[in-house]
Order: sequence, then C-alpha cells, then structure tokens
Amino acid sequence: MMSDRTERLIDIFIHSFMPLLQAGVKFTVPLTLISFALGLIVAFITALARLSSLKPLSWIAWFYVWIIRGTPLLVQLFIIFYGLPSLGVTLTPFPAAVIGFTLSVGAYGSEIIRAAIGSIPAGQWEAAYSLGMTRGQALRRIILPQATTVSLPPLFNSFISLIKDTSLAATITVTELFQKGQQITAAVYEPLLLYIEVALIYLLFSTVLSGLQSWLERRYGRHNVRAGGRIS
Amino acid sequence: MTAMIEMKNVQKLFGPHHVLKDINLSAERGKVLVIIGPSGSGKSTLLRCMNLLEMPTEGSLTVGDIRMEFHDGNKPKRDQVLTLRRQTGMVFQSYNLFPHMTVLANVMEAQVIVLKRSIEEARKRATELLRKVGLADKANAYPSQLSGGQQQRVGIARAMAVDPKVLLFDEPTSALDPELVGEVLKVIQELAAEGMTMVIVTHEMKFASQVADKVIMVDEGCIIAEGTPEEIIQNPAHERVRSFLSRITER
Ligand SMILES: Nc1ncnc2c1ncn2[C@@H]1O[C@H](COP(=O)(O)OP(=O)(O)O)[C@@H](O)[C@H]1O
Ligand SMILES: [Mg+2]
Repeated sequence: MMSDRTERLIDIFIHSFMPLLQAGVKFTVPLTLISFALGLIVAFITALARLSSLKPLSWIAWFYVWIIRGTPLLVQLFIIFYGLPSLGVTLTPFPAAVIGFTLSVGAYGSEIIRAAIGSIPAGQWEAAYSLGMTRGQALRRIILPQATTVSLPPLFNSFISLIKDTSLAATITVTELFQKGQQITAAVYEPLLLYIEVALIYLLFSTVLSGLQSWLERRYGRHNVRAGGRIS
Repeated sequence: MTAMIEMKNVQKLFGPHHVLKDINLSAERGKVLVIIGPSGSGKSTLLRCMNLLEMPTEGSLTVGDIRMEFHDGNKPKRDQVLTLRRQTGMVFQSYNLFPHMTVLANVMEAQVIVLKRSIEEARKRATELLRKVGLADKANAYPSQLSGGQQQRVGIARAMAVDPKVLLFDEPTSALDPELVGEVLKVIQELAAEGMTMVIVTHEMKFASQVADKVIMVDEGCIIAEGTPEEIIQNPAHERVRSFLSRITER
C-alpha cells in the first residue's frame, strides 16, 4: 500500500515533468545553443586578435578577457539587464542573457583556442612556411585543424558548464528550467522533489552533450589512433 | 658553374648570442653541398637562414634569381620572403609531417594552396613522387601509421612537390633507428644522381663522402674548412676537423 504522501509526490513529479522539460526546451536549450555558437565566434576572433602582431588589437582582446574572467557572471548579467537601462539600453530578458553568456563563452573560449594554437609544435609552422605558405595559409590549413582537435575536450567542458550556468538567467527573469522549478516549488512546497527533478533534466541535457563530444572526438581524432592521442 | 645559393658576410645573432659569424659560401647548381660540424655550432641556423626560417642579422643572401640584403633591423618584404621560400624545399630532422592529413594530402597540400595547381594535377604529381620514394602503397595512410624512415621519405616527397630549385636537409636521418637510415639516404642519393641541387647537414660521414661535391665544416659559427670530401673527410688537414671526425666515428 502506497502512503498518501508517496502518491502525492509521484503525482507532483509526473505533473511537473512536462512543464519543466518544456521550459528547458523552450529557454535553456536555445539559450545554451545560441550563446555557445555566438560565443565560439567571439572566442575565435578574440584568440586571433590576441595572437595578432597588431598591438592595439591584441591589447583590446586581452582587456576583454581580463574583465570577463575577473568578474562574476551573475554580476555581468545584472549589469546588462538591470544596469544598462540607465544608459538608455533596455533589453528584454532573453537577449540580455544571450549577450551575457556569449561574452562569457567568448572570453573563456578564446583562452582555450589560444592555448590550443600554442600547443601545436613550432615544426608545423616551419614546415608550412618552408613550403611557401603565408601565415594565414599555415594557420588555416595546418595549425587550426590540429588546434581544433586539441580544443574539443576543453570547449565541451565550457559547453556543458554553460548549460548549467544558464540557470543564472533565472535571476534576470528568464523563465528557463530553474526558474520554472522555483515557480512550481512555490506552488506545491516540495523543494527537495522539484529541485532533484530540475537537476535530472539538466543531467539529461548535459549527457546528450557528452555523447556528442565522444562522437566528435572519435571522428576528429582519427589520425591519432596509433599515436595514442599524441598530437604531433 | 653558377651558384644556386650564395651567402656573403652573413651574421646571425639571437639577442647577444652570436651564432653565425661572417659566413661566406655558395651552393652550386646541380651539386650537393654537405655541412658538417659539432652540435651547437650553428649548422641548423645556417641552413634555416637559406630559406628565411631565420632572418640573417647582417649580410646578403642569393637564392636562384632573388637577392636580399640584411642590415640590423630591416625586415625583408613579405612577398620577397615567400618567393624565396617557394624556390626551396626543406626536410626536417623530426619530419614535421602534417599529422591530420594522409600521406597523399601531405604531398598535395602546398601544390594546391601555394602553387594553385588543380586537385587532379596535384594528385598526379604527388602519386608520382610517392612512387619515387617507394611509398605509393602508403598514400592513404596517416603519418602516425608509418615508420620513421617512411615518414622521412614522405617529408622528402612533400618538399619536392613544389618543384624547388634547391632542397635543404637538416640532419634527415638523426632521429631514425639505425636500420632505417639506409632507405632515406638511398632516396637522397638518387636525387643527387638526377642532378638535384641540395644542401645537407649530416653526421653520416660515409654518406657525406659519397654524395657530396663540396663539404663545409662549421665550428662555433664560422666555416673553418671547405673542400672536396677527400680533402675534408678522408684526409683532413685541419686539426679541429680531425678531432671532430674522430669523435664522430668513435660513437
Ligand atoms: N631561436 C633561437 N634562439 C636563441 N638561440 C638559438 C636559437 N636557435 C639556435 N640557437 C642557438 O644557436 C646555437 C647554434 O644552434 P644550431 O644552429 O641549432 O646548431 P647545430 O644545428 O649546429 O646543432 C646554439 O647555441 C643554440 O642554442
Ligand atoms: Mg641542428
């Protein structure tokens, strides 16, 4: 015989699952995907700027990374959403969150890409140059494809972190997964159950990403089979 | 005889470190120039100055029909550097093959990207070159699947693919297991027989005497002896050359 309490919990779990999943699919997932895609572009440009021989460019990139890495993401989101209106820039919650997360991915990602480029042995540049390639050709054809393989695992770390970090968007009123969990909890007073349920859905999303990572690493790590993961 | 590479009063400094001191040399068209000398004497730096992987600090360098002057601080023009490099090919001690490409793609890459040849043309030439170095059957393998000797032969094919006027070798067999050295030297000897202009840094003295038209001994950034293999390797007159050679053969 099931107790009334257990029955109630199961009932709440089942009834809240779809709304939570919907919040995840409608807000958490797009927020993650859009921010990560835009963030990668920002990261790539920033990494190239940091490596550029044009000093002002590399200085601007350094400054951007310094600011973003040195301040809490939560505070950045508050500045963008609650702070910018005083400068006349008023954003709705979702775009504000996208901007915040994009800047974050851009900064951390640029360091990953920069490190990956730096990890490619100098001999690869030299071989490319000895064949008459320009710096751009060497970068595009020889260095970046190898740096991509190197940066996939840490970039996926960022990706998986991001899907969890989007819960911060709740604080700027985006009704994403965590916010939805809070709302339901407020109505039914079962915080343990609801927050575990929210956690499970985050786990589901990040597990899908991990699977994607394994697939990509198998696909792009092909030439390293015999070298046992050695890159050069 | 006309020179393919000529260096006049070339100096190279790394910061305060004077690595090449007044180098004068020429590599003749269709001939093999071998550079020997103790480790740390500046052989690699000398070779790398020939394709501007290192910029000479002072002096003048001629490769084919391109002549460049170096004075403290002046950087050569990018286009000139590229044109000069396209006349040379380099084979590295550690092969430096592109690990993310198949053997065939390694040999095609610069033909397509630098020389703008069509894919078909590049593939044809690459296949030809791989056959020449005895690796036609490895075209679709990745470098990590090859032995050191095979990788270095791919390295030679890759350097040849852009039809360089001169090939530069930096200790091409030093990283190889002894039993694999022969297959690489054989390929180099065949190229020499075909009249390829080459500059080779090596510690293989027997090979050097066989393949060289001229031998240069470098010590502490200076050329201390220059002559035929007979003069430098078989009957060395210079004391420092003799002691270097006896140290080499003791190993
Ligand atoms: N990029 C560099 N920066 C500073 N010193 C260098 C550099 N490359 C070579 N050297 C120095 O120049 C000297 C000659 O080196 P190298 O040309 O490699 O000699 P070899 O090939 O004869 O062994 C060494 O003392 C080496 O430490
Ligand atoms: Mg050397």
